[in-house]
Amino acid sequence: MEEFDAIVIGAGHAGCEAGLALARMGHKILLLTISLDAVAFLACNPSIGGTAKGQLVSEIDALGGEMGIIADRTALQMRMLNRGKGPAVQSLRAQADKNAYHTEMKKVLESEKNLYLRQGEVVDISLDGDRKIVTTSVGLKYKARAVVLATGVYLESEIIIGKTREKTGPNGFKNSHGLSESLKRLGLELLRFKTGTPVRLHRRSVDFSKMEEQKGDEQIGGFSYMTKAKIANKASCYLTYTTQKTHNIIRNNLDKAPAISGEIVGVGPRYCPSIETKIIRFADKERHQLFLEPEALDTEEMYLQGFSTSMPADIQKEMVESVIGLGKAEIMRDAYAIEYDCINPTELNPTLELKKIKGLFFAGQINGTSGYEEAGAQGIVAGINAGLYLSGKEMLILKRSDAYIGVLIDDIVTKGTNEPYRMMTSRAEYRLLLRQDNADLRLTEIGRAVGLVDDERYRVFLEKKKKMAEIEEILNKKVKISEKIVNFYKKHHESAPKESVKYRDMLKRVNIDIFDIKEEFGEFDDCDYDVLEKVNINVKYEGYLKQQEEDIEKALLNEKVKIPDDFDYSTIKGLRQEAKEKLAKIRPVNLGQASRISGVSPADVSVLSIYVKKAKR
Amino acid sequence: MNSIVSISTPLGKGAISIVRMSGKDSLKIALKIFHTKSKEIKPRYMCFGKLEVEKEVFEECLMVYFKAPYSYTGEDIVEFQIHGGVLLAQKVLERCLSNGCRLAEAGEFSKRAFLNGKITLDKAEAIIGEINAESEAELNSSLKITNGKLAQKVEEEQRKLTELLAEIEVSFDYPEMDYEEIVKKKIFDSLEEIKAENDRIIASSESSLYLRNGINVAIIGKANVGKSSVLNALLGEDRAIVTDIEGTTRDSLKESFLHKGVKINLIDTAGIRQTEDVVEKLGIERSLDSIERADIVLFVHDGSDGESEADRHLNRIVQGKNIINLINKTDKPRVLKKLKNEIEISALTQKNIDKVKDKIVDEVIDKGIDANALILSNERQLAILKKCDEIINEILQAEEMSGDVISMLIKNLWKELGKITGNTENEDIITMIFSKFCLGK
Repeated sequence: MEEFDAIVIGAGHAGCEAGLALARMGHKILLLTISLDAVAFLACNPSIGGTAKGQLVSEIDALGGEMGIIADRTALQMRMLNRGKGPAVQSLRAQADKNAYHTEMKKVLESEKNLYLRQGEVVDISLDGDRKIVTTSVGLKYKARAVVLATGVYLESEIIIGKTREKTGPNGFKNSHGLSESLKRLGLELLRFKTGTPVRLHRRSVDFSKMEEQKGDEQIGGFSYMTKAKIANKASCYLTYTTQKTHNIIRNNLDKAPAISGEIVGVGPRYCPSIETKIIRFADKERHQLFLEPEALDTEEMYLQGFSTSMPADIQKEMVESVIGLGKAEIMRDAYAIEYDCINPTELNPTLELKKIKGLFFAGQINGTSGYEEAGAQGIVAGINAGLYLSGKEMLILKRSDAYIGVLIDDIVTKGTNEPYRMMTSRAEYRLLLRQDNADLRLTEIGRAVGLVDDERYRVFLEKKKKMAEIEEILNKKVKISEKIVNFYKKHHESAPKESVKYRDMLKRVNIDIFDIKEEFGEFDDCDYDVLEKVNINVKYEGYLKQQEEDIEKALLNEKVKIPDDFDYSTIKGLRQEAKEKLAKIRPVNLGQASRISGVSPADVSVLSIYVKKAKR
Repeated sequence: MNSIVSISTPLGKGAISIVRMSGKDSLKIALKIFHTKSKEIKPRYMCFGKLEVEKEVFEECLMVYFKAPYSYTGEDIVEFQIHGGVLLAQKVLERCLSNGCRLAEAGEFSKRAFLNGKITLDKAEAIIGEINAESEAELNSSLKITNGKLAQKVEEEQRKLTELLAEIEVSFDYPEMDYEEIVKKKIFDSLEEIKAENDRIIASSESSLYLRNGINVAIIGKANVGKSSVLNALLGEDRAIVTDIEGTTRDSLKESFLHKGVKINLIDTAGIRQTEDVVEKLGIERSLDSIERADIVLFVHDGSDGESEADRHLNRIVQGKNIINLINKTDKPRVLKKLKNEIEISALTQKNIDKVKDKIVDEVIDKGIDANALILSNERQLAILKKCDEIINEILQAEEMSGDVISMLIKNLWKELGKITGNTENEDIITMIFSKFCLGK
């Protein structure tokens, strides 16, 4: 039997990051996928990033992951969302070339020396001491100490279009049959979730003159801190709307919609409802907006965002044709809903390792999440931790105050989820610190410590930090008030101080930013936009950043109190029964996590802290 | 760790009260309000001085300083020993709070003692029960009448804020959606409203009024039923210890006594004394007014007599008030039918008079909560509301503030408000976003 250090099952966005992380940490990896043509496949919308998701991509990048680099390389356009709403909520969103993305990621996997990419469907996992034995559908067996499961939406998946149900994976790829049963045999409880994807249309059939064109931003950088070039604007998106006619067609055919008639049992996400759900729930809305997005440069297919449905194919056609500008639309692929098995993520530690079985890790949609970025984020963490597990080192847990990745993982393993979990900026309490622009400052050192950040990336990072320190120094320099300075203030509708002033003080004024100072006084000439922007935010938001840092410090007091693995909650006097049960089920790793379990009160945490500290003595 | 403060002695008739602080800033805070002629503060020695309880109002006071680690908690501890009485202790507590202390949570002194290795786990375990019991009692609110209302208001304000947040947040998480973006004016208007409401609560701070001003009790009843003797029985020997804590001239119409540390005011006593025989004529207006102001009405009946026209008339007047029916003259055979919420008494023999006093306090304040807990929860609430106002002011003053910061501050505000009812985890914003807005791919 062939043996590897670790086996990663699934080469979607989670599996690719997990496999690369493991291989780059020096482990010999087998990466198994049902189809080599489905590697890093963008099964739904041809886009990467977006609110909160953009932060995730930059965080993956800062840790030394691949998603950001390839998204930048294959972007058709890039936009910064939420400009003007403050730096905390600004996120990058790329329109990605789905074919190029797949090809580029596959190339990277193929050129990784410790990584063995192979087509093969895993149907069984069994245990042999601390080894896991993985069996494929053709009877091949492989052995490894660590396994990462990243099966996406493939587990016993079923595609639903009207009355038609087919046991396949997304986009007609084969589904995974048998592995679910194997997981149940290992003692895992499985949930059934649902998601969906809209129709794809032929570009030539669309009347763009009736739609609003949306281009990407000019002069915009990418997700990755290693991407030097600006992202070019290669393709446009188009905004259009449903009509009353669309709504009537849907209303008249609701009995044929499986999601409404109860034929679909899987739990679908609230944030991604089908068009029929939208029309029922928001009956008084006269029209719904839809976006047409290019799928790739080498195809005429376009994705109709906002029009996810599981209606029968003939009704879908009627519905699409009633949309403004789509009167003659040629459907190339039908919309479908997909049901699939996933695990209950509360069975995982915040390391993404299964509590029950050491060395077995889970990442991506199998954990009940949704989205490429969420998957990639878990993938890199699962990969890192599988790697650390193999070398017997302490595993990595990113805190809620470290990264969106930390928020994501803490949420799902602590609270579980009853719908596919999507990252949102609203979920992060330390949003002002967890910004798109500073992901590198937050996470590069962590990536370096685990061995994922290479010398070149680290050199660039250190240089950036040095630059920032230099800028700070210049900002603290005092300058005498001159006529030039008085005029500068006047020009920006601010009143000038009397004697001397630091650039830092100027920067604190509402109407003056660091780029105004650069232009007027010729300072910081050798500094990148990126670096200046970081310093600009740091100074302007100093007070609020400090406030959040203080909150974090308070929260960390509990976060630092670790709860032993074998801690017995049942013997603790003073804990309410509900709290005892919840704590025993979730088995939090520290007091902080304990305090976030629903049903555990502050008084319970207070009681617990006494016992935990006692146990430590 | 923060310095914490609490009133350590039960409040009430005690001759002294102790207010205790623990934490590294205890001495620093103490010396801001305590003035002494002693040249140095020697640990574990009593020190005489004056405590500034209000601006330029001083009280004599003894202070002891325990230097860490030689103290109960293992931290620096300062104790003030002051004259007894509810209000004085409360004022000293307030002064400590406004100088940088935070109110101790239930069992917190002991918890710190345990964590610093000063007491054993056995001892700590005994306290654990208290931590739960007290925090629960506090959440269940100590004042029946006012806290129910306050909790309701807090919930309402939190709901308003959640709606506001949902509207702000949806624009962050779904920038591409065609919803009209929330305008700053709407945010500001809502916050102004909340602030106005908070200010009303702070100003009236009803729960605080009970403590400062006492529970107002009116005694009514038809002529010759014995109102005057009930009044005297209630005042009884306690009268001597009633002092005017507020320092205003005594209202000739009001006589007060302390019970379980709570002041009870018998209002319109002059009216009772003068109009014993002429309720219908002279006293009627005055009685109406006193009923209006009363938290509790003591309705005195003659047990040896049936219900009269005058009783029925009075019954109509006091409708909707919190009434305790006192059946007087129980030395004679009972003729009067059984009444709701009644106590049989005898003003002559003092029978059940203490029961009446207990009942008055119990009607307003939850059973099992002493005045101590009551003051603490009240102070805590006021401190929270004031902090909320600060946050609102911060938002209102910074017109150029970007959306992300406004949202952060509103979330802080939501959390702060929730401390009153114990609801500080807002999991509803996202639910609200999805129920209010139609979103998705």
